[in-house]
Amino acid sequence: MQLYSPMSTTPKRKSVRAPVLSSIDGLRIGVLENGKLNAEEMLNEFASLFVQRHGCTVRTLAHKSNASAPAPSATLVKVAQEVDFLITGLGD
Amino acid sequence: MATAVQPRIHEVPDDLLAAIDWCYEQGWTDGLPVVPPVVERVKAMLAADARPPETVISTHPATGLDLSLHAAAVNAVMAGCLPEYFPVVVAAFEAMDRPEFNFHGSTASTGGSAPLLVVSGPYADEIGMNADVNLFGPGNRANATIGRATRLILRNVFQMLPGISDKSTQGNPGKYSFCIAERSRGNPWPLLCEAQGYPKGTSSVTAYAGGGFCNVENHGGNTPEQVLASVADAMANYGCITLGQSVVILAPEHMKIIGDAGWTRERAQDFLFSQAKRSVEGMTDVGKYRDREYDTQHGDGAHALAEQGFIHRGLTPQDILITMGGGDAGGHSCFIPSWSRGRGSIMQHAAIKRS
Repeated sequence: MQLYSPMSTTPKRKSVRAPVLSSIDGLRIGVLENGKLNAEEMLNEFASLFVQRHGCTVRTLAHKSNASAPAPSATLVKVAQEVDFLITGLGD
Repeated sequence: MATAVQPRIHEVPDDLLAAIDWCYEQGWTDGLPVVPPVVERVKAMLAADARPPETVISTHPATGLDLSLHAAAVNAVMAGCLPEYFPVVVAAFEAMDRPEFNFHGSTASTGGSAPLLVVSGPYADEIGMNADVNLFGPGNRANATIGRATRLILRNVFQMLPGISDKSTQGNPGKYSFCIAERSRGNPWPLLCEAQGYPKGTSSVTAYAGGGFCNVENHGGNTPEQVLASVADAMANYGCITLGQSVVILAPEHMKIIGDAGWTRERAQDFLFSQAKRSVEGMTDVGKYRDREYDTQHGDGAHALAEQGFIHRGLTPQDILITMGGGDAGGHSCFIPSWSRGRGSIMQHAAIKRS
């Protein structure tokens, strides 16, 4: 008996990790909040620890209008030009 | 751009029961036995769509995994679909593929929604779908297997796996299958496919990320206001109220009361929107009030029916899909809440294309 596989015939998109930062001292931080309750507060609090401990500066606060959809590429492209690393996470 | 590869074929022993067990072992099922997707049945399913099998009808936004007609056909066979059901499955994914539906988010979320499919128009009768008694229950092959095929595609093609990429806190029974036909017999309103603007004779499927099922019982109400006030109360209970959309399926008994009084669908939508509300004070008491949502509803462009001091369900009356379904007897309508807290998924519809 011959059975077809029910899986997609297109391979998953390959994702590549960004290179590890050698130091975070004095770097520019971006914050991407997902619009959920307390997300902005939690992420800003988190970013402030980097400011206090490593002299970082918060340069960008970006918002997602839909927490469960990928951030629009235009948002990511813009943020990538302005910051050295991005903090994001699920607020709720 | 990922390169498509040929569909994989597995050789298994010529033993049907062993093949069913083999499918379990591959992790291809929803927990119930599947029909082993033998090559001949998949080809018969594909014959229901004139396009090449490699035609892509949907793509996962995060992983890039594509749904081809071929993969859809394999899963439709496994779900138990007949070839004449296939155009409904295809149309469902053409609707769900739009970014506004957000099938990734509504499947991955803790909210536990399932795609509710509402099939409208003559094609539902042609393939023997149930729009009548026990509408959401078991017993009809087309309803059961079209909904099940949708789930199997999310699982097998898009890899939305329970516990891994489907993190539903509780899920809901509709995640096995959630597919109904709109009842045309005795329906005083234009069918959904007509209201959606499709040409006469064209059927449609509407996809909606449904968060469960809420029965609305009212055997004593004899006016549209009484019946619809019961529905509105279900829509606005503290557990369900959000700015999300709504689906309301009116029982024929309830629809007769509303239709005989001359109410149109639009009037019923206006009434439900105006009545399905909670006060800001009450929402605050239960910890669900958010300034941002209130402002969204009451800001520029919000519908005039949004009453100050109250949170209504949805943003406008058009956010409420209402139609008729179910058996002749019984004052049991239903409200299907939307996925989770807001407007992360907006219902979509598509034409069912015959080959």
